[in-house]
Amino acid sequence: MNIRRQSLLTEPPASATSDIAFILIIFFLVCASVEPEEGRQQVIPKNEKDEKKEKTKTINVDITPTDVIVNVPNSRDGRPVETYKREDPALHARLTAKLTGALVDRAGDEQRVVAVMCKDDSTPYYLWMDVTDAIEQAGGIITLVREEVVNVQ
Amino acid sequence: MAMGDIAFLLLIFFVILARVRDDSHIQWKPADGTELVKPETMRVSVAIDRDNMTYLNGTLLSENADSAAIRAMLSSKLYNPNGAPGQRGLLGDLPPGRRTVLLKIHRDTPYRYFEPVIEAVSEAGGELHHVLEEKN
Repeated sequence: MNIRRQSLLTEPPASATSDIAFILIIFFLVCASVEPEEGRQQVIPKNEKDEKKEKTKTINVDITPTDVIVNVPNSRDGRPVETYKREDPALHARLTAKLTGALVDRAGDEQRVVAVMCKDDSTPYYLWMDVTDAIEQAGGIITLVREEVVNVQ
Repeated sequence: MAMGDIAFLLLIFFVILARVRDDSHIQWKPADGTELVKPETMRVSVAIDRDNMTYLNGTLLSENADSAAIRAMLSSKLYNPNGAPGQRGLLGDLPPGRRTVLLKIHRDTPYRYFEPVIEAVSEAGGELHHVLEEKN
């Protein structure tokens, strides 16, 4: 009597190879496109050495180890210098409100420049993004200012 | 059987192509943001990981370079005004509006590490696109 036994190790049919490979291609392509890419555009003009700029009228935002200081020359609200704590949960809203008020009368691009100086090298990226987002939401044009270190001997 | 070989070669081709610009191996966590938009182009990406290492299109720039060296390296790779047409760097021959540079910077990266990157991209005429996470 012949008993037909089914082999456990059966080779898949060769005709299925292309299907398997095609599915693998789709799998890898889908995996590759999962990376997050949504974010925020930011325009930071090139630094130009223009001595004619009216630096005295430029709005300054300084990030120190503990505070964010906004300096608005000729401020209409009578408070040219305002200091905000870095840990303040409402920092973004307060900055946006202050800068919106300061920029409301400034029409030209040159007048809307806000100079950002980071006086703390360890300022985290998320805080810097929060501050620059507030400036852009208020309609300001960001320019980076680097603190110059002078070695005295 | 030839169909299987062709499909397999195609698979290898796509995987290698994807790895060339792949930066999925970089360990980073995005900062929070609101009203996020998709980038117009994705030709160039610069990333800074949890250990403050800088990558250009997924390739580590240098393990122990200081910020000035990182700035110089990035500037020369992004834009070389003295190069021949087609050899002016990654952004050199692209028209405005298509010079987007994706910035994937770990949320806690200190200023001294990300400032040279932002400055180099701006100086090269790149359009910054910070990759962020939608704030809840």
